[in-house]
Amino acid sequence: MTSSVGTRERSRVAARPTAPTARRTPPAAPRSLRRSRVRLGRPSRRLHVALAAALTVLVVLAGRLVQLQGLDAPAYAAQAAKQRLRTVAMPAPRGEILDRNGNRLAGTVPARALFADPMLVVDPPATAARITALLGGDPAAMEEKLRRPGRFVYLGRGLEADQVDRVLSLGLPGIGSLSETKRVHPGADLAANVIGFTGQDGNGLGGLEATFDGVLAGKSGRETMEVDPAGRQIPSGEHSGTPPVPGSSLQLTLDRDIQWQAQQALVAQVQATGSRSGSVIVMDPHTGEVLALAGAPTFDPDQQGAAPEAARGDPAVSEVYEPGSVNKVITAAAALEAGVVTPDTPVTVPPTLAVYDRVFHDAEEHGVEHLTFTGVLAKSSNIGTVLVAQQLGKTKLYDALRGFGFGQSSGAGLAGESAGILPPPDKWSGTQAATIAFGQGVSVNALQMASVYATVANDGVRVPPRVVRDTIGSDGRLSPTPAPGRTTVVSPKTAQELRTMLEAVTSNEGTAPEARIDGFRVAGKTGTSQRVDPTCGCYRGYTASFVGMAPADNPQLVVAVVLQDPQNGHFGGTLAAPVFHDVMAFALQARQIPPTGTAAPTAKLTTD
Amino acid sequence: MTEYSALGSSPYDAARRRGRLGARPLARSSPVRRLDWVLLGAVLLLLGIGTLLVWSATRERMLAAGLGPQTYLKRHLLNAVIGLALGGLVAAVDYRSLRAYAPIVYVASAIGLVAVLSPLGATINGAHSWLVLGGGFELQPAEFAKVALVVGTAMMLDHKRAGEAASRAGPRDGDVLLVLALAAVPMGLILLQPDLGTIMVLGVVLFGTLAASGAPTRWLAGLLIAGVLGAVGVAQLHVLKDYQVKRFTAFANPAADPGGAGYNTQQARIAIGSGGVFGKGLFHGTQTKGRFIPEQQTDFIFTVAGEELGLVGAGAVIGLLGTVLWRGLRIAGNAGDAFGTIVAAGVVSWLAFQSFVNIGMTLGIMPVTGLPLPFVSYGGSAMFANMIAIGLLQNVHLRSRKI
Repeated sequence: MTSSVGTRERSRVAARPTAPTARRTPPAAPRSLRRSRVRLGRPSRRLHVALAAALTVLVVLAGRLVQLQGLDAPAYAAQAAKQRLRTVAMPAPRGEILDRNGNRLAGTVPARALFADPMLVVDPPATAARITALLGGDPAAMEEKLRRPGRFVYLGRGLEADQVDRVLSLGLPGIGSLSETKRVHPGADLAANVIGFTGQDGNGLGGLEATFDGVLAGKSGRETMEVDPAGRQIPSGEHSGTPPVPGSSLQLTLDRDIQWQAQQALVAQVQATGSRSGSVIVMDPHTGEVLALAGAPTFDPDQQGAAPEAARGDPAVSEVYEPGSVNKVITAAAALEAGVVTPDTPVTVPPTLAVYDRVFHDAEEHGVEHLTFTGVLAKSSNIGTVLVAQQLGKTKLYDALRGFGFGQSSGAGLAGESAGILPPPDKWSGTQAATIAFGQGVSVNALQMASVYATVANDGVRVPPRVVRDTIGSDGRLSPTPAPGRTTVVSPKTAQELRTMLEAVTSNEGTAPEARIDGFRVAGKTGTSQRVDPTCGCYRGYTASFVGMAPADNPQLVVAVVLQDPQNGHFGGTLAAPVFHDVMAFALQARQIPPTGTAAPTAKLTTD
Repeated sequence: MTEYSALGSSPYDAARRRGRLGARPLARSSPVRRLDWVLLGAVLLLLGIGTLLVWSATRERMLAAGLGPQTYLKRHLLNAVIGLALGGLVAAVDYRSLRAYAPIVYVASAIGLVAVLSPLGATINGAHSWLVLGGGFELQPAEFAKVALVVGTAMMLDHKRAGEAASRAGPRDGDVLLVLALAAVPMGLILLQPDLGTIMVLGVVLFGTLAASGAPTRWLAGLLIAGVLGAVGVAQLHVLKDYQVKRFTAFANPAADPGGAGYNTQQARIAIGSGGVFGKGLFHGTQTKGRFIPEQQTDFIFTVAGEELGLVGAGAVIGLLGTVLWRGLRIAGNAGDAFGTIVAAGVVSWLAFQSFVNIGMTLGIMPVTGLPLPFVSYGGSAMFANMIAIGLLQNVHLRSRKI
């Protein structure tokens, strides 16, 4: 092709100027022409140069094309894939938390999140004003979010779809929404201390939500899709991924109605007594199932951020205290089991008792009393209990405490449980051997204490308490929680004798006639203990408690009530026993437990 | 008309009479047979490829905007048909009679450029270079200014030769100055828009026509120096908008600001590079479907070729454009007179510069100047102007000395 342009061009340039000039002045022509050709450009040569230049540029472009598409193609393909393929986690639906009858305590519903890309927001003050006009909130705080550096900031989470749609319909630049899920609690604060709460991303942060997070959470899936530069999915693009595996649901042993009643009664009494905190536990002693586990103060898990951290725990397991007289049932159990005493053994109780460097008193001043062992328990005599414990010896007392579950976690699998403090007997001080017998110098949590009475109620066989009955897979398959190991702590005879003795506590001569329920025989024990104030490590204030069972001759339910640091009064018999009464009466009715129809034996409390 | 009847004895005129257009299309001497079919074939192939690429580039965009996916395809086909008709018309009229129209074309384009600056003009994609005609029609007068400059310069540099045989060796200095003055008007008007790309095209056309006319080398050298000084002046005086400067310099280091000025070049390179040797297949370009490249159907149409048709298809586009340039230079060389040579050379300069700059910018080796790829990019005004340019080439070819 070069030659085709060349030859024709050359001939043209050569021929055209010469022909006419030759006609006019033949001799002078070549010279002037040559000069003029030197002075002027030569189009033919220039066209050649142009062609060569064009070819060179084309070759350069083609070379660059080969470089991009031939040599560097894999790198660019990877870059292309990286920016057009987006892998998003597909959150697995979180399992629900149900009560023992399948009522929903915590569930998950679809919700929306509102976000901003601050780089694209045009007018932060106006945008903030228009959004807060629809969603509420502080425009200044919203504006601050819209001005943050970066390209993503949440403006609101767990919002209703129509709320978000109204904001989006404003067409504000840089504002978008995401689908997400939201944890809802139909019962508001019902069993909140047990269930706990989740974070904004649905992860369990407290209570069962945290301890069973692995079960509830499921396994999130992944979705890879093609997106355009704005991050929108391309409908005709490729699409792949693994679906999420939904989480399993937890079915608890709690009964929604009993839980509600327990919570109401507790919160009311905590307020009335000015207590720092409190807990109520309702247990089935035969199965170890916890029917209600109420804590105060409590919180609304939908707004857990608004609650103080202290309110978000579960005082029934996290708060340990010195149980006081309630603990005498263990001393009694060990003494009866060892054959040191019988319920009718006479105990001569002096007004005071010196042990090592301390002189012990009873709650009420008295002269020398002649009580039966039942009387010691019913009247809650510290001196009488210490006298029996001295006969028993500290090793046997320690073994009994261990057997009833002291110093070890209750086994219920609840978050934040504290096992309490039970030092080994060789570490006991001289007075501690005496004080532990009536429940000072040892610490437990409320659930541990409820379990002690459940063991007595269950003929001496301890069934560790539990709150999770079974898990229900997303396929509907039920996996029961493995049955806990049962241990025999005392003989059925001892347990039966203890129940009879405890029934005397609710007699008119005992410390807690307020615990009695019409038509039912009730056994239990009051506790009025000195409370260790953790701020000073000294005794300051009291713990008022009552733990009992009904019906006393065939116990079906155990209820424990603990009030910490009450300000209006401090006796377990007057503060905790009424709560026990209300909760137990309701629970008996709810569980449709009939009265046994038998009459309470008239226990002999004194030997006079 | 009058002009060529005065030259009635010319052999070209005889040839023209022998083969009156359409009289005997298949006869050996018929103008249809004598067209440069290689040139026409290359242009038609480019039009065909361009149509598919424009369709591919706009389908997803239209769908996303809730419009018919063939909106752009239909408009582009209409533009191509109108363009072919305009080209045919231009080819049919003897170019020597075009000289008579040259002043009209020149003045009309100047009026159009002034109109753009008036309230009739509109700003689209940051360039105030559009004339909205109503009814959904818009024109870019700057495109027609290219045609006007080609024809106008050719006339100025050659118009005396027919009568004055003594001066046929080349233009005199006075002629060159006159041409420069002629070119200064549209260039000045376009600088006010401002449309840097078109000014550069006009500068290159000026250079090409002067070179082909045989103008002295010092003028060409002077023009080059003036171009460089002009570029420096433009940069110094802040004639350009900020975004234009950024866009212009972004090609050197697109990674510096991939979200901003360098975004286009970066995305263009990714699209082309990821196409590989055989491409991802027409309509299957992931970057194209994903709308990662802004202005893809106009300035960045070559990226669709690169991504979907691969090295093979993009190379073919370069080859076809090369063919057009080669045939254009061949026509310039064979032209029957200096006017024909200058017109052809002007057209080739124009098409070559736009092709090189456009492809170079999509490949990331030249600055982003916003010039469409001839025959391939979407755009009515450019399509019409390009087809008129091909019509001019065919016109010169039909009337050349040797066929």
